[in-house]
Amino acid sequence: MSTFIRQFCALIALVLVSAGLNARPQASEHRTQPWSERTLEAFGEIPIQDGGRIKPLSTYASFALLRLNGKRSAESSTGEVLDPVAWLLDVTFFPEDAALSKSFLVSDSDAIIAIGLSTDGKKKRDRWTYAELLPGMPRLFSLAHDYDAIEAKARTSIQQQVVDLASNVFSFMRLARSFDWSRGGDPSDGHALTVIAPANTTNVDQPWFAPANLVAGIGPNRSLEPADAAVVAEFETLIRLRADAGAFESTLISLRDRLVARAMARGEYEHVELERAYYAFDPIRWSLASFIAAFLGVSIMWLRPRSKLAWKSTLALTSVGALLLVTAIVLRCIIRERPPVSTLYETVLFVTASCVLVAVFIECVQRSRFAIQTAAVLGTVGLFVANGYETLDKQDTMPSLVAVLDTNFWLATHVTAITIGYSAGMLAAALASFYLLGKLIGWKRDEPETRRKLARTVYGVVCFALIFSTVGTILGGVWANDSWGRFWGWDPKENGALLIVISQIVMLHARRGGYLRDDGLCMAAAFGGTIVAFSWWGVNLLGVGLHSYGFTSGIHSALWTYYGIQWGVVGLGGVAWLRERATRKNVPVETPVLEHRRAKKMRAAA
Amino acid sequence: MKRFARCLLAVFSSLGTSCILLVLLGLLTWLGTLEQTRTGLFEVQRKYFESFFLVHRFGSIPIPLPGANLVMCLLAVNLFVGGLVRIRKSWATFGIIVAHVGIAMLLASALVKYEWSEDGHVTLYEGQRADHFESYFRWEIALIRKEDDGKTREWLVPHERIEDAQRSRVRVSMTDVPFELEIESLARNCRPEWAKDAGAHGPIVVDGVRLVSRAVDARAEANIAGACVSVVDERDGIRRRALLWGAEAKPFTFFAAGKPWALSLRKERYEMPFALQLARFTKEDHPGIDMPKSFQSDVKVASAGVERDVKISMNEPLRDGGLVLYQASWGPSNARPGDRLFSTFAVVRNPADQWPLAACLVIAAGLLFHFVRKLVRYVQLEARAA
Repeated sequence: MSTFIRQFCALIALVLVSAGLNARPQASEHRTQPWSERTLEAFGEIPIQDGGRIKPLSTYASFALLRLNGKRSAESSTGEVLDPVAWLLDVTFFPEDAALSKSFLVSDSDAIIAIGLSTDGKKKRDRWTYAELLPGMPRLFSLAHDYDAIEAKARTSIQQQVVDLASNVFSFMRLARSFDWSRGGDPSDGHALTVIAPANTTNVDQPWFAPANLVAGIGPNRSLEPADAAVVAEFETLIRLRADAGAFESTLISLRDRLVARAMARGEYEHVELERAYYAFDPIRWSLASFIAAFLGVSIMWLRPRSKLAWKSTLALTSVGALLLVTAIVLRCIIRERPPVSTLYETVLFVTASCVLVAVFIECVQRSRFAIQTAAVLGTVGLFVANGYETLDKQDTMPSLVAVLDTNFWLATHVTAITIGYSAGMLAAALASFYLLGKLIGWKRDEPETRRKLARTVYGVVCFALIFSTVGTILGGVWANDSWGRFWGWDPKENGALLIVISQIVMLHARRGGYLRDDGLCMAAAFGGTIVAFSWWGVNLLGVGLHSYGFTSGIHSALWTYYGIQWGVVGLGGVAWLRERATRKNVPVETPVLEHRRAKKMRAAA
Repeated sequence: MKRFARCLLAVFSSLGTSCILLVLLGLLTWLGTLEQTRTGLFEVQRKYFESFFLVHRFGSIPIPLPGANLVMCLLAVNLFVGGLVRIRKSWATFGIIVAHVGIAMLLASALVKYEWSEDGHVTLYEGQRADHFESYFRWEIALIRKEDDGKTREWLVPHERIEDAQRSRVRVSMTDVPFELEIESLARNCRPEWAKDAGAHGPIVVDGVRLVSRAVDARAEANIAGACVSVVDERDGIRRRALLWGAEAKPFTFFAAGKPWALSLRKERYEMPFALQLARFTKEDHPGIDMPKSFQSDVKVASAGVERDVKISMNEPLRDGGLVLYQASWGPSNARPGDRLFSTFAVVRNPADQWPLAACLVIAAGLLFHFVRKLVRYVQLEARAA
């Protein structure tokens, strides 16, 4: 928000002095037909420098609209559903039309009442147009100014919404004024679309220009370089022809080629096409669809437990889902030139993929059906969480990284190892929950060997988890020792990782010592899921330490829901255990240690 | 007696003891993590992780707990007796024993770091040179005499002796010094103020100034200590009293035995086996935004008459002469292009610097051997059953 504060004064002046976007000189020009496919494609392919990296304009538009509208589409005044690129075309070339599109999600209408507008005819959670919000803007920015001074943690939900809404309106206005300079406006207003790569091809990491930046550089004794002048002229032509769909399209294609060529000359267009293809194909959506289909297969497996077809199709669909997810992760690695995990969003993808892959492996070895059911459920839940997080966070999921994270060696070793540790911990918790709930409802009551097999699987996964959690945690310390000069600093994230390791060591020692048997191990592993969740997400919400990212409240409630479910499962497992103990004579189960002691005694006696 | 010893050995080596101690360590880690939202890391570290006993308040209910230091000492004994000495030796336990050796190495490196490491920082403006680094929060009183040949000679009062002054006056005599120092009082965090009324109680007033104590900051490095020190010369019966404040730019100076002396309260200093000069500091941002992409200091390291150029950046420290120097901070934060910048390096002398990495490899090897062996046997068993 600091950028927001800095630009605040300029903003208020803009809002109050301007009579709004409706009063533009060419207000009579409106878009009369939908944008053509080729126009959308050409505009989406233009590279833009945003958030410290080069990305396609389609990605930029997609996250810009997600931030404002909470989804990747907007409804125009004519009822047309606009995709992000069409919306961005409207905002930049037909701001008068865009002002009438429903582009602003307001989650609670109290925020609207707070800025003095009427909510008649609107739902409590509804989408608003710029034009509808315009009368309340002086009050919106005045309130946002006051609320912004309050520490984010201490703000009420309405105060936060007012601040967010003001920030969104400001972003919209920045975009809408991108080409004001061509209509006699001030070129210093339109810095949003930094799509022009510098002509200089040697200076790496140089900021790109928005057309307005170049125009602002023109003075009585200062003219543009011929190449820059040609780009500006083409933009001017484009704006002039905006009402003529055919001419607009051909000019836009020519402009795109020019901008792409400039980016290519600097070697900065390398992965833009791949990113376009990644979002166009959207492997994560297809992976989710595959997991949901597998989930349906799971339902059929419950209804017809002996059906081989249901089992095979669930296994196939889950494997396809996993492959698609792995494809998505690999594509992201290539685009970012990074190891698979460097942001929280990517941890979700990676954890989901590893959980599913390990479960599919277990199923292939055992063919006992519970692993594949768990895999389908985890795949579906994992990708819903990923989508939910993306919608809540509303930020580009391939951001630039701060200096300390700029090390592919440690990202590849420590981060990957610890994330596999999370995955295995979560998988163990899911399998253990399967065991405990199954026991409660009498699943496989007559086949104790199948249950024992499931418990043994939980044990195996905990062992797998321990290797990666331990190595990942210690490598984290070694990285910290290389970055800050201390191996261990009791930072919350470090403590969280330590808690995971300790819990898994306790489980294995207690099992070996005979203190935990199948039921106990599964209860501990199910509880262990909450320890992983605490370390993965919970410590970030504490607001202290080196890994404090500051989140929205949605994550808080999702996390507590998960804690509640897992504790509930552990409690129910306890009930099932007590019930069994009361009804059956407790037959001691041999453990390795007891077995060893008995053998030793027998040898001594002999 | 023998039976008791055997019983004690059995308790110390048991898996039950391991479980209880690990659960306690987990509990302390969890409580210490949550407590950080209320008090600072430094306080939490002292209370939960570097203590032998503590009282955790759960609301208004006090719960006595063993500190992590005690738990880890007992765990080390448990690991050694149960996990290395008494454990059955066979291929089935080989991996576990190796992993336990790795954990013992990790504990040993923690002990060495805790007992024998020194850490601090050195801050240099571009062009500046230093041959020592300073502690973050340990103080010392330096007595400096200017010799006839223009050189200086130093005597130091260490941190622990100064801290004793919180309880009672501390008399310090030093060889070749014709007087004694008496530390009359010490404040861990204070600031000087003009004393309008010099009352009989309260802080000592010297030349109309007194040191007013402030609440101790949870961030240990933010505290500025202050002391009232008297120079007591028994021969001429003169007593010179001075207020020393940690953030004072200039020392207290006086003449005694015909020579000029200076007295200053400063952060503890440690010699470096080389001289360090900052040639240039570079901070790069990602293009178009404020997010830092890299920090880098170009330094010259001079030792034994040889000078070499070294780059120190995030994740790439300088290791030389038993010291490790890290890029820690920079400034001034409001510097404009062309302004002279400073760079701060965290400096650590840790004999166990790379031990954790070795321990990690040993643990990984042990666990992998053990679990892969088990997995292979399990898969074979399943294949046979199928």
